[in-house]
Amino acid sequence: MSKAASMFRSKKLDLSGFVNTRLIRDHNKRNAFEQMEPERQALRYMIRNTTLPQRVRAQAQLQLSQMHVYTRPTQIKNRCVASGTARSVFRDFRLNRFQFRMQALAGELPGVKKASW
Amino acid sequence: MFSYTTRSAIGVGKRLRVPVPVRSLSSPSLPNAPSPEPATTTQAGPAPALATGSPDAEQPSEPRVKEWSQRLRALGEDTRLPRSVQAIYSRPLRRKAEYGLPVCDLQLRSYSVQNVEFFADFAIRAAYYLNLPASGPVPLPRIVERWTVPRSNFVHKKSQENFERITLRRLIQIKDGNPQAVQAWLAFLRKHAFYGVGMKANVWEHDSLDVAKSMDASLPEVEKTLRPHLEQFGQRHDNSADRSIFDVLDSDRFAERKNL
Amino acid sequence: MPQPRLLDLVKAQCRIFSLTFNPQRLRLGNKILRQRLRGPALAAWYPRKTVSFRDLQNTYKPLGLTTFDEAEDDREEAIQIAKLRGKGRPKKKRTAAESRSAKKKK
Repeated sequence: MSKAASMFRSKKLDLSGFVNTRLIRDHNKRNAFEQMEPERQALRYMIRNTTLPQRVRAQAQLQLSQMHVYTRPTQIKNRCVASGTARSVFRDFRLNRFQFRMQALAGELPGVKKASW
Repeated sequence: MFSYTTRSAIGVGKRLRVPVPVRSLSSPSLPNAPSPEPATTTQAGPAPALATGSPDAEQPSEPRVKEWSQRLRALGEDTRLPRSVQAIYSRPLRRKAEYGLPVCDLQLRSYSVQNVEFFADFAIRAAYYLNLPASGPVPLPRIVERWTVPRSNFVHKKSQENFERITLRRLIQIKDGNPQAVQAWLAFLRKHAFYGVGMKANVWEHDSLDVAKSMDASLPEVEKTLRPHLEQFGQRHDNSADRSIFDVLDSDRFAERKNL
Repeated sequence: MPQPRLLDLVKAQCRIFSLTFNPQRLRLGNKILRQRLRGPALAAWYPRKTVSFRDLQNTYKPLGLTTFDEAEDDREEAIQIAKLRGKGRPKKKRTAAESRSAKKKK
């Protein structure tokens, strides 16, 4: 089995907005995970099920660990949609803290206002 | 209902024969007249025709203004708007709940007070005309979310900025209404959804104790609707070769591993 | 109440509500099967491609309609000017030898 990450890359860029190599890579990982998630869950079930023969469980473990890295959920990192930054990204807005501030001040985020109390 | 108001306006024009535009006369004379009336008068059409029709009557019109206003006031007292239009100027009407059994909880959410208040009012009026007893709008606790963000790089961490988003909520409860009417109400609200107002509805349906029987009776129909979906479900033919799971696990991916 | 009777009761309960009857409390891994699939939600993080002006152009071109993309025209014009000034992009090196000679010249 080839370990090339290019197998998860779409032939044509299917993203709009800000685009970045790292952002595309993360997007590919997300797609790979979505594609292989049922298989991963099935293997995980086989591993956890203590009533199955030990051999099957060990083989399932091996197979799970041999799957491509891109199919792992831990590889996925939330990135800012507007700038591609991976740090301090708000899940509510999918924005980096700086982009959040700029857009909030520009009034592009509905309901978000400057607070003082 | 608008045809009624326009008809009355035309009648006024015919009887009055005023050179002065009708609107300028009628608006001071009817101070408590609802807003749709003058709007329809200007649209009605006879006003400009009258203005051009009798230019020489401009002089005697002035002493008669008082009379006109009196007559117009009398007109305002005699005629009235349709009840449904009048109801808009007062608080929403409500049906009385007979049993008080909750059927539907509608939660409205918005970031602005005007929007959510307006739409809650609209929803209650709509419920009245659908013969649904509605209670509310109950103001639920606001959801306040706050974020604190550094203004620039981490070096200047001491200078931060606070942002907040306050979600306002209103709850409208429908009591012992017909489930179909409730569905119609919800569909109507979704059709006339107001900008910046989100809706969330919990609908409860009540059934008799013979639910199991009716469900059994409806089973063949449900199966018929499910068949196209279930046909898609199952193992793929190209996948179900005569191999057990052991063969799959032995062969494909572990061949290289075994050799090690 | 005796223990076997209770077990029978639980068994019947499990059969009716289609639950797994597991009196020994074995680890069957069913919690994995109960989990939701997170893939669709995770894959929808980034905004997908929508229709662009280029697509519009491509659809209207076969119909014989001309469209003008001012930003694109400006870009091409700027490239032309840069080329005239000798500031255009360097020529693509097709072979290894070409690229090596280009380096040596420096």
